[in-house]
Amino acid sequence: MILNRLAAGTAMTLLLAGPALADGHTAVFTPGEGPLDWAGYDAFAEANDLSGQSVTVTGPWTGDEKAKFDVIMAFFADATGADVNYSGSDSFEQDIVISARAGSAPNLAVFPQPGLAADMASQGLLTPLPDGTAEWVSENFSAGQSWVDLATFEGQDGEEDLYGMFYRVDLKSLVWYNPASFDENGYDIPETMEELKELTDQIVADGGTPWCIGLGSGAATGWPATDWVEDMMLRTQPPEVYDAWVSNEMSFDASEVVAAIEEFGYFAKNEDYVSGGSQAVASTDFRDSPAGLFAIPPDCYMHRQASFIPAFFPEGTVVGEDVDFFYFPAYEANDLGSPVLGAGTLFAITDPSEGANALIEFMKLPIAHEMWMAQGGFLTAHGGVNLDAYQEDSQRAQGQILQDATTFRFDASDLMPGEIGAGAFWTGMVDYVTGASAEDVAAGIQDRWDALN
Amino acid sequence: MAAASDDDGIAGGRSGLSIVTNLSVVFLVVLWLVPTIGLLVSSFRDRDAITASGWWNAPFPVEQNFAVGADGEFEQTPEGWVIEGNLFGEGGSGEVTAFGGRRAEPNAFEPGTTGELVRGRTLTVETNGDFRYVDPAEEEPRRAPTIYFGSEVPPNFTTTNYETILTSAGMDVAFINTLTVTIPATIIPILIAAFAAYALAWMDFPFRGALIAIVVGLLVVPLQLALVPMLQFHNEIGIGQSFYGIWFAHTGFGLPLAIYLLRNYMVGLPRDIIESAKVDGATDFQVFTKIVLPLSFPALASFAIFQFLWTWNDLLVAKVFLPSNSESWVMTVKIADDLLGSRGGDWGILAAAAFVSIAVPLVVFFTMQRYLVRGLLAGSVK
Repeated sequence: MILNRLAAGTAMTLLLAGPALADGHTAVFTPGEGPLDWAGYDAFAEANDLSGQSVTVTGPWTGDEKAKFDVIMAFFADATGADVNYSGSDSFEQDIVISARAGSAPNLAVFPQPGLAADMASQGLLTPLPDGTAEWVSENFSAGQSWVDLATFEGQDGEEDLYGMFYRVDLKSLVWYNPASFDENGYDIPETMEELKELTDQIVADGGTPWCIGLGSGAATGWPATDWVEDMMLRTQPPEVYDAWVSNEMSFDASEVVAAIEEFGYFAKNEDYVSGGSQAVASTDFRDSPAGLFAIPPDCYMHRQASFIPAFFPEGTVVGEDVDFFYFPAYEANDLGSPVLGAGTLFAITDPSEGANALIEFMKLPIAHEMWMAQGGFLTAHGGVNLDAYQEDSQRAQGQILQDATTFRFDASDLMPGEIGAGAFWTGMVDYVTGASAEDVAAGIQDRWDALN
Repeated sequence: MAAASDDDGIAGGRSGLSIVTNLSVVFLVVLWLVPTIGLLVSSFRDRDAITASGWWNAPFPVEQNFAVGADGEFEQTPEGWVIEGNLFGEGGSGEVTAFGGRRAEPNAFEPGTTGELVRGRTLTVETNGDFRYVDPAEEEPRRAPTIYFGSEVPPNFTTTNYETILTSAGMDVAFINTLTVTIPATIIPILIAAFAAYALAWMDFPFRGALIAIVVGLLVVPLQLALVPMLQFHNEIGIGQSFYGIWFAHTGFGLPLAIYLLRNYMVGLPRDIIESAKVDGATDFQVFTKIVLPLSFPALASFAIFQFLWTWNDLLVAKVFLPSNSESWVMTVKIADDLLGSRGGDWGILAAAAFVSIAVPLVVFFTMQRYLVRGLLAGSVK
């Protein structure tokens, strides 16, 4: 009795505390206006009525990104009448495992790494997406089948099913530079890896430092280096070798992998090439490392990082004017086309309900993607979206790189088992830049992998 | 003579020792305070300033280089295309210490001189920021030049970080939530532990020693081990993720230390008082409420401080046992998941948030710290 009354009291305070979602979403988008697919939205609203139900979602987006996603969720709530609650967490990877194991998982979770989703699917903590989703994704996403394959996991029963739908894509093969610095020094954008290496030497000869590289990231220190190695792998080996490496059919200490690590070392372990010298690479925070591009005089001229990095540029920086990017080029001599490395977040159902299925349905609508495109900082593989919705030209250009790719491969460390891809690989890379040899590091990671099986 | 010199020696040694003691105390205090001072200074700086220089440089004016796009129209003159203006903009003021035409050499020329740039272009900059850029090209240049210059920047402190935190939507709810978690989570374990401690200290029953040993053993069990099973249990009995859940969790995690601390204190109370009360016919309950509880106040207060500080600062237990929607966020979760930005790059916010959330525990600590010292000492020294 007392417990019940207390519970009611708590519920009251929660109700009084404020509405679940900001009502400002119609101030961001006026229904019926802009380059958005409102017709699809209206049809969806017509077909779905979830009044009185609630849908809970958790994911890794916090702060600004949560605000942008909340707008989209508010439109979903408007369309269906459901009560939607998205909560972002800084430690999503840990939280979702705890809540799913304890049986208090939200309806849907947004996974930043397929590896973690695969782990949870194999433990029976995820529910396969509704029938037909796999066919839909393979028809409607550009390079659709690859997105299906990336999110198809073995469940607890050993059956393979589609567990996730990709929603947001990050492009990793980008080099950021300062156009004014390039212009004043007469540097051209390199088209091939050979030219990039020449440019690197040219900058050193002119008395500058070509690269800013920072691997620091708290508990995840080392991950930026894994992106370098993966990009180098795609530029020195055919995609099949890359796939064999990801699945460990090819050993981590194979000569191909060691060569790719040494390609990264070519840039990172050369005292003249990196700002602060190679010892600073491991200790510089990845969030602080692009600052060198904007220093006067510049601490460095180039910074290889994914499409999300503008969030860490100094305030007021305009992409396209103060800073720009070019495609991290491939070797002309190796004839491997133009490979692109990417990553993405995927929606998976952690607690099935009608509302969860409806939200997956909603995520298939172009407008669910266009609304974030229009708010900036979002790339999508959805083939049916209106590219005019991109807020910035720079993102349209990134979308172009994605479309021009002859090979698209997903971030290997996100696909490897957590202990490798979010552990041994990271720490191995820190050991490598601070002095260990590529062979030793690769052998050490392979040992850890052997110990897993 | 010998005795006098001996005395001197002892006196000298003593004062020397006390100087060393004082110096090392001062050294340790400074050492302990340095991170806090750094945090305090950082909390008044914006993100760019924190990235640009260390907090120890914050109070001094710094020589900083700037890049300014020359705004204005090119005018055609016999010398070529000319653009004139002021680097600090209209109404702005400052002092140029050096200037240059390339990002790589922002301090190539002295103010008041004319610098030769590439392709016959020249640039003149005066100390007050007036500039004149001449491009002898035939066609009108396509983009306005960027001019680089060095200037001394006065120290710049801002309260923006504090404003962001204090005015952010939902901070009031988070503050109340934190109190809602903290106060019951401090009181409940004390209530239970006081009874348990009295029983373990003064009542005779079988396996008393073993029980004490188990409680002490529980002190070393990491609470992380219990997160998933405990949440599972909460889901099964129907309280799920809620404030009850977190009160139970904090109570459970706090009890071993509370019982251990209070029992050790109570066992040290004079046996005579308790026995004479019993001889006079007092029941155990009367002895507990009338004698032991009032005498144990310092120990109760010191444990209350511990438990209050720990639950106030807790992030992990709150994330696991409270619902994840923003209406149930406590302050630590609000700061970590909402204010710190998408990928945790806003160090200034973090620093300011630390000081905001430290305020209440500081008040609690300073009002109760005399009990803390007394409680700790009284438990150990007879």
